Amino acid sequence: MFRFLRLIPLVLVMTFSVIVSAGPLGIGSVATPEMIAGWDIDVRPDGTGLPDGVGSVAEGEGLYEAKCASCHGLFGEGEGRWPVLAGGEGTLDTLHPEKTVGSYWPYASTLWDYIHRAMPYTAPQSLTDDETYSISAYVLYLNDIVDDEFVANRETFARVKMPNEENFYVDNRPDSKNERCFENCADPKAFEIVTTINGLTPTGHFKEDSGVAANHYDGNPSAASESGISKVKNDTKIVLSDKANLGKGVYDMACQACHNPGIAGAPKTGDKAAWVSRIDQGMDVLNGHAINGYQGADGVMPAKGGNMSLSNDDVINAVAFMVELSR
Amino acid sequence: MGKIYEPSLPKLMEAIATEARGMKGLDRRNFLKGGIAAVAGLASVQIIPKASASPNLPPNLPKWQSHLGPGVVSKPYGEPAEFEDLQRRTVPWLTVDAASSISMTPLQDLEGIITPSGVVFERYHGGIPNVNPEQHRLIIHGLVERPLVLTMDDLRRFPSVSEIRFIECPANGGMEWRGAQMEALQFTHGMLACCEWTGVKLSTLLAEVGVKPDGKWILAEGADAAGMSRSIPLEKALDDTIIVWGQNGEALRPEQGYPLRMLNPGWEGNTSVKWLRRLEIGDQPWHHREETSKYTDLMPDGRARRFTWVQEANSVITSPCPEKPLKQSGFVEIRGFAWSGRGKIKAVDISFDGGVNWERTELKGLVLPKALTQFSYRTTWNGQPWLLQSRAIDETGYVQPTLKQLRDERGGWSIYHKNSIHTWNVMENGDVFNVQIS
Repeated sequence: MFRFLRLIPLVLVMTFSVIVSAGPLGIGSVATPEMIAGWDIDVRPDGTGLPDGVGSVAEGEGLYEAKCASCHGLFGEGEGRWPVLAGGEGTLDTLHPEKTVGSYWPYASTLWDYIHRAMPYTAPQSLTDDETYSISAYVLYLNDIVDDEFVANRETFARVKMPNEENFYVDNRPDSKNERCFENCADPKAFEIVTTINGLTPTGHFKEDSGVAANHYDGNPSAASESGISKVKNDTKIVLSDKANLGKGVYDMACQACHNPGIAGAPKTGDKAAWVSRIDQGMDVLNGHAINGYQGADGVMPAKGGNMSLSNDDVINAVAFMVELSR
Repeated sequence: MGKIYEPSLPKLMEAIATEARGMKGLDRRNFLKGGIAAVAGLASVQIIPKASASPNLPPNLPKWQSHLGPGVVSKPYGEPAEFEDLQRRTVPWLTVDAASSISMTPLQDLEGIITPSGVVFERYHGGIPNVNPEQHRLIIHGLVERPLVLTMDDLRRFPSVSEIRFIECPANGGMEWRGAQMEALQFTHGMLACCEWTGVKLSTLLAEVGVKPDGKWILAEGADAAGMSRSIPLEKALDDTIIVWGQNGEALRPEQGYPLRMLNPGWEGNTSVKWLRRLEIGDQPWHHREETSKYTDLMPDGRARRFTWVQEANSVITSPCPEKPLKQSGFVEIRGFAWSGRGKIKAVDISFDGGVNWERTELKGLVLPKALTQFSYRTTWNGQPWLLQSRAIDETGYVQPTLKQLRDERGGWSIYHKNSIHTWNVMENGDVFNVQIS
């Protein structure tokens, strides 16, 4: 029976290759509508690609606060150095342009497409179509582009017009015209020589005796090369438990985005002072917060770091990893 | 070619030297500590080698010659000598997270035009996916006669091509738009690499699927966590786009898109989508995030250029540079790279006085379209300060602009495509600093 079943797909493939005429070289297999449907996730400004589904600003608020605010801020203001999503109107021609969804993005479709394909950062393509409509609607609302009654679906979303759409134009370079001059090409008396600002460049690899490792920035521990925790490990020679070792991979995938830089109130991994009161609550409390999410005066912890595909054990192992590095 | 450079404006250079001595913000102590004797004016500079009692130096027998070394396959996959320090480096404050960040190629250490695969700069928007090539597929669909799904084995059956082409992030030099910032060549110009790429021309694959008459654009999409996507016009695809699986003689490195990537020669790096899983043919561009919110060039009037694909002609002197100061007076070969996204480099000129007067350099080695091209100028250095610049001219006649010319057009906020003439200030003691002349 099993053998028989395995033959069916083969027969189907052969049938397809008979029906569809082959290309000049006859290489490859037919991409079936089912295969394409699973991967064809793109959305265009004219609405092509928007799926069935619906989501409101009201529904978006809760989803945004649970899944987005830890990086992008409750009002789209951006936590730490994560992208600012709202505001910035009228700044594009000033000395401090702020390019946000509202001030800069030319098409609302881009918002839907990007949220759906790449957000949340630690759990891409985990949002349902309805959730994507809701969060997109809420981000538009944060930018005053739709009102709080707005309900997004294929029709209403494709009609949203972004304020900055008309301010993009196709590349018109070459724009500067230099001459291949050889003598007296510039006036040396007009020269103003601008030097660099000290301290911006990681120069440990060529400054003798600087004592700074090559890819560290002026010895700033948060700027270590990989996961940001290597310095902590080297300093203290911590031997991790098996649990914590298992948790390291989960940490790198789902936790480090906030717990390395310490944004959104997340205690930095390795920062003993920040962790001591948390560890005192006991592992059950910590694990519970990590698995179910937590919102307090000091910050927001999305459930499972926003990656709901993690098992509870994955999260518990990652917590063990952080705690062992931080006590 | 090969002539000795005599400072044509001694007064100017003296003034520059005086000014350089008064530089603000530079911690010069570290640069003066290393046993380098600084002598004022045009007197000769001498570096006294540290007295060495090494038993390996002549006339002694070196220790490595007195016994056998390791035999064959002691390292089945070789690596650089332990004495070398060739590595990618990043500027940690640039980005908030390493999975969406950039590292730079150590241009200061490269020999010739090929960048070793292990130090090609990295740019990720969602980290490096660990793609199993047996389970990787490329789907080509949309406005085509025959939508296809291709395995890696399928792709290798197509007639292949190998081309040496540069790839450059459009943000290369972006940190320098508003002022000199980076005190190292690796950080001013290192979002750049040049490799031999092997794959199938996209035009060959498009013939296989049969593009319908209204198919004008192609969406390229990656299998990474960012689902990286860019819209590519059909003209480019039919011109020289390659779907690549090989890099410098072996499979692509994971960092460069293993097992399959797009390569759009001469175009901004992020159009060359890595970990390529899907090509959709459509009648309009998609205007996705990485071609609207990012990778568009904000102009001073608040409007922005889109689809700024081409990397215009650019050049930089790689020796001397901040990491490779002049250590010896006397003969010096000044070396550098030039490249243009529009074709071949036709010529490179060099200036010692900040762009007042220029000399022709010699191109050497391979001169290929859309590839790093080496230039060389032989001269003598006797401790005189220099404001070193290079200026590339490509086969279209385009002359690399000055920083002032670029800023006059584009202001200081466009982040991308800063290809202006770069200045190294060579000091009397041979140290080299990044400066801007405005």
